[in-house]
Formats: sequence, structure tokens, C-alpha cells
Amino acid sequence: MRTSLAACVAGILLILASVPAIAHHSFAAEFDANKPVKLTGSVTKVEWMNPHTWFYIDVKGEDGKVTNWGLEMGSPNGLMRNGWTRNSMKVGDVVTVEASRAKDGSNNANARTVMLASTGQRLFAASSQNEAR
Amino acid sequence: MKCAVALLAIVIAVSATVFAQWPKYPEANAPRDAQGRALMDGATPRTDGKPDLTGDWVRADRDPPPAELKGILGGGARGIPVEPPTQPFPPDPKAPPLATFWDLGTNLPGGLPLTSTAAEVKKKRMAADSKDNPDANCMPMGITQFHMQPQPRKIIQTPNLIVITYEANYGLRYIYTDGRRLPPQGEPQPWWYGYSVGRWEGDTLVVETNNLRGAESGPYDGWLDVRGSPYSEQAKFTERFRRPTFGKLEIDVTVEDPKSYTKPFTVRINQRLLADEEPIEFVCNENQQFRSRIKVD
Repeated sequence: MRTSLAACVAGILLILASVPAIAHHSFAAEFDANKPVKLTGSVTKVEWMNPHTWFYIDVKGEDGKVTNWGLEMGSPNGLMRNGWTRNSMKVGDVVTVEASRAKDGSNNANARTVMLASTGQRLFAASSQNEAR
Repeated sequence: MKCAVALLAIVIAVSATVFAQWPKYPEANAPRDAQGRALMDGATPRTDGKPDLTGDWVRADRDPPPAELKGILGGGARGIPVEPPTQPFPPDPKAPPLATFWDLGTNLPGGLPLTSTAAEVKKKRMAADSKDNPDANCMPMGITQFHMQPQPRKIIQTPNLIVITYEANYGLRYIYTDGRRLPPQGEPQPWWYGYSVGRWEGDTLVVETNNLRGAESGPYDGWLDVRGSPYSEQAKFTERFRRPTFGKLEIDVTVEDPKSYTKPFTVRINQRLLADEEPIEFVCNENQQFRSRIKVD
């Protein structure tokens, strides 16, 4: 019984794991998988555009200084297939983002997860590396 | 049994929720079960006495990403599904090795039979983190990369012409089935998509393509996969398409390219029908920032 339960759980995990995100860019050329960053801030702009959606957030540092970060996600068609719409995230929303920083040290990153602070709802980032092009 | 039900529920839930483009518009002639779902195991549709390959197709198999991207996928940071949900078909012992998206020859015994010239090209491409990958630059991909790209493709079959449109980068191939012959190799101007003719051998559509632009043509040319396994202007591709059931498309791709490979090789690409779905617009160059961001341009 225990074995079949384990097999079932493994099967479920396999299904969930077997549908990774779409992506466009050569992730490794632009971002560093070993530079994770977690940011919370207010959305200032959303570019719901091909080949990749970008959004920008104002992040307040411990010194009170505000920095604007650019965050890349998947393509709109990929996000739509995951249930996003162009209205899923709006200017003014406060979000928490887990991302990988740009290699060049700029305030850009590739978002893996996006959570809406108001509801705790996890919007999926569909980061651009998983099926990376 | 409960497990099977749970798995089925997940598949259905995922299938039902992730598609939100065109409103659902059921295909008129699809075989369906009592719940109205298209029967993937249903009979192969036919037209003019031949299997009809028309439909929207998405790759059925996926391979894990290469080592340089492992870090980002580990530790619970896995990206989220946005690719249309599909599952692999049961293994087919008679099939050629399954093609792999990242590096085409992963399942070939000994890997791709690269010539020293091709190995050098691939090494350079990988050393540059595949920045010239045509997919990342909104350019046409090689036939194998196009077939395995996560975005779907639509095949439109008419009596004398088969068209394949790829959602990714708006790829477009014309395959003439009107009896014309392939142009002699080296004669016409090489094209991104080459020149393709098709003929039926029983229920198998055999498509031959030559006179392609190759790795010597430009940085985005001649890519078989994400890691830049090259092909040259001398390459000839032979694709064998079969649709054994309503929901399955098998494509066996043979690459002959003496400049890049010491011998021909063949890989299998399985596709699953996206019933009742349509492609989503993808205008790649709308806001392309990749090359400026990585300071290439």
C-alpha cells in the first residue's frame, strides 16, 4: 500500500514537473542562476509584450533609498497558457519576486515566482530559462 | 485506482485551466467520448485517401536542461508550467532514439557524430552561452529545433501543398506534394527553410529538404538545437511523418551533412494533438531587448 502511495505521489510530481515553462532567451547569456535575489516592491510598469514580458518595481532599501528593478518573465502566449492575463498584475500592486540577477550587475533579473502581497496569491512567473531558448 | 483517478483529475484540471486564448471552439470532426473530450486514440483522419496531418501539434517529450541551468531549476525554484500540458507516449522500441531539445543527440549512442569542423562550431557557440541561438534572436530555427520548440505548430494539408506554421518566431515552411523534384544541391540560392518536397509512401509522408542556409551563412544559421549543434549548406533533411492515431504524430528526422557529421543519423520527435486549440499570436520582435541587454548590439 505504502509503495503504491509513493508511486502515486511520484507520478503526480512527474506530471507537475513535466510541464516546465516556456522561454525565449539564452538564459545563461543574460542571467546568473547562482545569483538569486528576493525583492518586494510596488509595480511601476508592465510591458505585456513579446518576446518576453517585463515588469518594473520600486524597491525600498534599508537606507530608505528606492531602486527600480526590471524583471523578465515568459512570453505573453506562454503566460496566457498558464492562466495569466494582461490584467493579472497592475501598476501599484505590491509584489514579492524571487529572481535570478543579470550577469552584468544591473538592476535587472529573471523572475521565477511572483506573489501578490495583498492576497498572497502566487502569480506564476514562467521564467525564461526553463525551456530556454 | 484512486491514484489513476487523481492523476487523471490533475491532467484534466491543468488542461482545462491553462488555455485562455480563443474561446473554446470544438473541431467538427474530432472523435469524442461521452464527455465531449477528443479521443486521442481515435481513428486517423484521412483526406484524398491519405492520412490528414492537419492540426495543431505540441511536442510530447521533454528532456532535462543542461548542467549550466540546473542551479536555477533546483531548490524549489522550478519555473511554472506555461507550455501546453502534454505527456510522453509509451516508449516505442522500434523507434529511432528520441530527439532531445537542448542537445539533439543526447539519446544517440555516442552522441551526435560531429566532424571536427562541426565540433569546433558547437564549442564556440556554447562558449558564448548560445547568444546567437536563432530562437533567442527572433530568427528562423533549424528543422529539429522548430519541431521541438515548446510553442505549438499548425500543419495545414492540401492536395498539392502542405504548410507548417510554427507559433515560435512565425516559422513557415512550404512542402510541395505536387510531384516536383528537389532542386539540385548547390543550385538555387540557399534559404532559411530550404526547399521541401513531399511524397506519400503508404501512410507515411516523406519530406526531403535541401539547399538550406547553414552555419557558414551567418551566426543564426544552421542550428539543430539550443546548444548549437550545427548543420551546413550541404545538409539534407529527410522527415518521415506518420499519424498513427487521431492524437499522435511521429516525425523521424534524418540528417545527412558530410561537412558536419561523419555519418547520417535519425531521431524521433513525437507530437501530441492540441485538440480544440489554436496558436496564439507571437510577434517576436515587438519588444526584443535581448541583444542590447547582453551588450551585443
